[in-house]
Amino acid sequence: MATAIPSIACLGVIGRNNNPLHIQIFPSYDPATNTFAPIRTPLQFSLILYSALDVFDLRSRQNTSSGVGLSGDLGLLHAVDERLAAYGFETNTGTKFVAVVDMRGRRIDSRTAASVAGTQAALAAAATAGVVGLREGEMKPVFKAMQTAYIRLLQNPFYDPDEHSPLPGTGTTGGPGKRITNKRFGEDLRRIGEGWTPGVTNLL
Amino acid sequence: MDVRWMRKHQEHVPSVLLCFYTLTSDPTRATLCDNQIKTDVNKIRGLLSQSGYRTRLAVVLLSDQATMPLGEGLQERLSNIQRGCGLDPKAFFLVPPPKESQEELERMAENMLTTLYGLAIEYYRDLGRHARKKRSRGVAPQPTVPPTSGTSQTLSLAGWHVRYDFKSAVFAEFRQEMDNALRSFEQAYENLLSSELLEIIPSWSPRWNEARFLADVMAIRCLRCLLWNDQYSAACRRWQMHRDRIADFVDRRGRGTSNYGWEAWEARWATVMANLIERTDIPDLAPSTLKLYLPPEKNVMGERLQPWELLHHTGYWYRMAANHLRTRRMYAHSMPDDDRRSPSDSPASHVASKAFTYDTYMCPDPHEEYPLTGRGGVNHSRLIIEALIRARTEFQKRGQFRLAAETSLECARELVVVKDWKNIVELLRPIWREMSFRTEGWLTIAEDLSWTLRAGAAMVGEADLVVAIDWELLNKSFTRRMNWHYNITRSLEGVAPPKSKPRIQIADGQILSFFSASFVFKTEEGKAGQSCQGQLSIKSNAHPGSAPIVFSSLQVKFDDIIHTIVLQHQADSQTRQANGNVVLSSVALSAPAVEDASDEGSIRRAGLRGEADLTLNPGQTTVFDMEIPLREPGEASAATLTVSLESDTFDLQHTLNFGQSRDANTWYVSPTARKRIPRPNPMSIRVLPRPPKLEIKPIVWDEQYYTNESISLALEILNAEDADAMAKLSAVLVGEDPPLPSFQLRTSAPDSKFEDSSDLVSEEESSSQVHTQLGTIGASSCLKIHVSLPPVDRSSSFDFTFRVSYHLSTDPSTPITQQITLQLNIANPFEANYDLLPRVHPDPWPSLFDPDTTLLPTPSPDTSDSSPTPTTPTALPNGIKQAWCLTTRYASFASEPLRVLDVDIILHSTPSVSYSHQKAVTTPRGGISEPGKVVRPKTIEEATFDILTQKATLDDRSQSVLDVSFIIKWQRLGRRGGGDDDDGVNVTTLPVPRFNIFGIEPRVLASVSYMATSDSTRVIMLEVMIENASNHFLTFGLSMEPSDEFAFSGPKQTTLNVLPVSRRSATYRLLPLGTEKEEGGAGGHWIKPTLVVRDKYFQKVLRVQPTAEGTKVDKDGGLLIWVPPPAEEAAEGDEDDEDDEGE
Repeated sequence: MATAIPSIACLGVIGRNNNPLHIQIFPSYDPATNTFAPIRTPLQFSLILYSALDVFDLRSRQNTSSGVGLSGDLGLLHAVDERLAAYGFETNTGTKFVAVVDMRGRRIDSRTAASVAGTQAALAAAATAGVVGLREGEMKPVFKAMQTAYIRLLQNPFYDPDEHSPLPGTGTTGGPGKRITNKRFGEDLRRIGEGWTPGVTNLL
Repeated sequence: MDVRWMRKHQEHVPSVLLCFYTLTSDPTRATLCDNQIKTDVNKIRGLLSQSGYRTRLAVVLLSDQATMPLGEGLQERLSNIQRGCGLDPKAFFLVPPPKESQEELERMAENMLTTLYGLAIEYYRDLGRHARKKRSRGVAPQPTVPPTSGTSQTLSLAGWHVRYDFKSAVFAEFRQEMDNALRSFEQAYENLLSSELLEIIPSWSPRWNEARFLADVMAIRCLRCLLWNDQYSAACRRWQMHRDRIADFVDRRGRGTSNYGWEAWEARWATVMANLIERTDIPDLAPSTLKLYLPPEKNVMGERLQPWELLHHTGYWYRMAANHLRTRRMYAHSMPDDDRRSPSDSPASHVASKAFTYDTYMCPDPHEEYPLTGRGGVNHSRLIIEALIRARTEFQKRGQFRLAAETSLECARELVVVKDWKNIVELLRPIWREMSFRTEGWLTIAEDLSWTLRAGAAMVGEADLVVAIDWELLNKSFTRRMNWHYNITRSLEGVAPPKSKPRIQIADGQILSFFSASFVFKTEEGKAGQSCQGQLSIKSNAHPGSAPIVFSSLQVKFDDIIHTIVLQHQADSQTRQANGNVVLSSVALSAPAVEDASDEGSIRRAGLRGEADLTLNPGQTTVFDMEIPLREPGEASAATLTVSLESDTFDLQHTLNFGQSRDANTWYVSPTARKRIPRPNPMSIRVLPRPPKLEIKPIVWDEQYYTNESISLALEILNAEDADAMAKLSAVLVGEDPPLPSFQLRTSAPDSKFEDSSDLVSEEESSSQVHTQLGTIGASSCLKIHVSLPPVDRSSSFDFTFRVSYHLSTDPSTPITQQITLQLNIANPFEANYDLLPRVHPDPWPSLFDPDTTLLPTPSPDTSDSSPTPTTPTALPNGIKQAWCLTTRYASFASEPLRVLDVDIILHSTPSVSYSHQKAVTTPRGGISEPGKVVRPKTIEEATFDILTQKATLDDRSQSVLDVSFIIKWQRLGRRGGGDDDDGVNVTTLPVPRFNIFGIEPRVLASVSYMATSDSTRVIMLEVMIENASNHFLTFGLSMEPSDEFAFSGPKQTTLNVLPVSRRSATYRLLPLGTEKEEGGAGGHWIKPTLVVRDKYFQKVLRVQPTAEGTKVDKDGGLLIWVPPPAEEAAEGDEDDEDDEGE
């Protein structure tokens, strides 16, 4: 029996000023047509990422009121609907990573899946539901890999972070900041988004 | 079994029937009433038992009056009634008279309810037990009525099981035993969906829908139980499971999930969940908790959960419903026309096929869903919007404003479908205003919203909104819409023309402007009165191919200092140079003449104006090169640019702040060449004050001034400007020591006349600062200022600051300041040290044995008299006399030679005890010979003064103090006697340290006198005077030792007795044996007689003190005697005299 497992539908890097730095969209499996296609339009993904910012705001408000840590993995931000869920991570410089997970993005045969290491446990849980769920913390490798990629981007001398996320108060004529167009960063994100399945612990 | 059964148990058949009766207190009617109650109750009971339901009966008796005696009688009556009715005592209540307080009653009612609750549970337990009993029989019961087609269906055994499970579940639910209920529901549900029931029902059969309905009902009831039990994640899971299973069924057995019917059900199912959550009212999901979803329960914590299984708040559920509704509409709209016909006018075959294609479970048939006629049908948009609005309120409640905005946007899209333009504008306008999409760079979203809003605004006739949106959408960052004119002047086409021409004001940051502007000053600094070059560059980022924008005017505002620049549009400017996308035009600025500036310096602000071609093509950078006159000193930076656009249909003003953008420091030398201006802030310029050409020169200003000297200074103000200057002067004296000397200021006529009589005196109250108007100083003329300071006592140093602020008659609006700071050093011109040497008083001492000298001033006033005048004989002192010589050596510390006119001392009379008399003697040796001796710096001058002192009375023999001040009267050399300062003589008083005189110790004073004897041999008379001021009789031994240097005559060794308060002297005659060769002929030499004076009694050698000329003491304390050189007539060879050392 074919089982749906989660896959990443969209990775977003959002700058300090809540400005989109990079959005990468990944196709999901469509059982109706047996093809891979993004399940939402880029505009819709933008909206999903954008609304995830609400949750960042809320969490930071909660955190400041309760006095716990300021940054790091925020875990599940919210589920957009029964298929898509947004997970978030915030670096301590305010850069936010959002991973939109399509809970039914991939479909694997139980037989082939058995051979895939690390997913057996997931499949056992999926036996009843038909859909594999996600454990808290399973998105961590994604964010870790994204952060590594982002750090690598920052190490690039030709990349000026202030150009992309200008400090507040330094003029507005240039808009909120440029997008990241670095090819390597894009490829890194692509690799991360395509490489992740539940149970993967290392994406670097 | 259908909904009626549920209704029967929920609404019609009670578990407990509660009857209220009044218990009459009137004893006469008591029995009657009681009996009435009894009959009534019994009648009800009869009815109940007739109905076949075991509804419990309970009775409440209300006492009607307060006077009910609580006694045996009552008890009896009660038990009578109870027995008469055959009631359970638990179901029998008595409410005491209503005098009881409200709380009492409430508590009583509560008690009653608790008791009744038990009854009710019992009732439902009975029913549940009954249902279970029936189920456990395991056979399908015989139909109670013969099966008749149409009215009832026979059920299989599994069907009966479902029925009984359901019933017992419902009863369990009534008992609030949710766990049991859940179990039973699940069982029923599983059975229903099992292969024996739902699987075998054909999908065309009405039973199919009924079964689905039943499944839904059970699922809902399951959810309810789960939510009741706080198993939120399980509830979500249950919700999903039901949907999945039904989807599975519908896919396999029914009409599939890709039709509007299924989506309708999905939407309904999501709404049901939302409603259930709303009903449950979960405190952890309240908006105040800021939680969007609930954490999973403990028992599923470790499992792999789907994110959706964490129960989200209702907003999400409503949104989901809306999404499904939208899909439903999509499916509905994609129905072929044939299917949309109403069955009456379509062929039967079609109707049949339709029945298989569309799932009409709980939703209308295709022809009603989306009728072909376009009228009626389901208003999908309304449903969607309702769901969305509900979702939006939830999001807003929880601070998810972005999501709320997104929902609004979705809403607006629906409104577009309905063509409810007004609401679109209302909904989107606030979002468009603040639009965090825009500031945070989510352009695609902003774009979508803008177009939607524009469509709405255009329909409603909100001209300003339309223009503003069009203006923003010109930005190239937005994706280009095909076939759009992109011409701002045409943006109001097709919009209902408003009554008046709209004026649109757009502030900075309100929209994402399609052009950016920067202003660059070429130089970092400029000077007031000159001009600087500045460039305004406007870079268009409009869509290529959009119509060029022709601004009507540009307005550049600066912070302070520089006036606003206004550029007006003027077509075909000659000064345009273009290259590629850069257009450079230099603009001549003209300021409307500033006609008046009053004396207070109020400046009329006038803008600078210029004309240029203000056309901005898409992608073009237009640069305006300007020469900006600078007027005032200070810091100026370009602040805002306001562009105005006037078209036939509207006016638009857009204000832009100059920000720090990347290309903000590019200077266009020409359209082809540009350079970077390497300054951190090229938008600002520092305007230095206009270099003043007015000079302030000190004319009389010495580098050194002295204390006790009245100082007068002079300055000259020279106006080197081309025009007359209106000047003000302020002079400030600053020093370290707080008491600053005050000074006076006088100005004399500009032409360099020296007289101060013709001055424009502005002699204010002298203080340490003076401000005065100088009036007009003509071009290249000068003004003289005199400053005079009174004598200063102490040496000090001051800073004198003169500041002249003026403005030229040609340019009154520019204040100019010139200032000079000069240092004024005031030093002590002289310093001195002093020696007080003893002398022999020429007059004899008063003697105790001589009444003439001592007893004369017996009158008493003498003693206390301190009058310094010695003229009155009564005041004549008759004490001990002493003579002293004060030797002062003063040095000039001035930096220049000074003329010392006189030196003097002042003796301050010592109180009462002593009387002093002094006589100044200008001594020949190095003393001041003539008045007006020039003393050079760093040279030491000497002056000696003889002082005679005498005690007032002989009886007073205590020590007293000599208090003297030294006075130097001097003049500056440079100051001609007949100069304008007639003071001339400055008096410097130097304090002299105190000396003690009149000790009681005996003094031995040696004095010499030279006696010219016959043949050029000098005999030196050495007189040794021993003064005994004490009251003792003292004996001294004198001894003179022979020496090689001289011969002497006198006692070689003798004893001198000195009476108290007297003095005696011994005289030696010395003949020096000066050897000519030793002294080298010139000058005299010193000889050292070894004279020892010893106090016989105390065996103490007294020091022989030199007095007057010719004696001194060497280092060892020995007495030296000066042997003057032989006189000019001195003959040689007289040295070998007899050296008699006789005694």
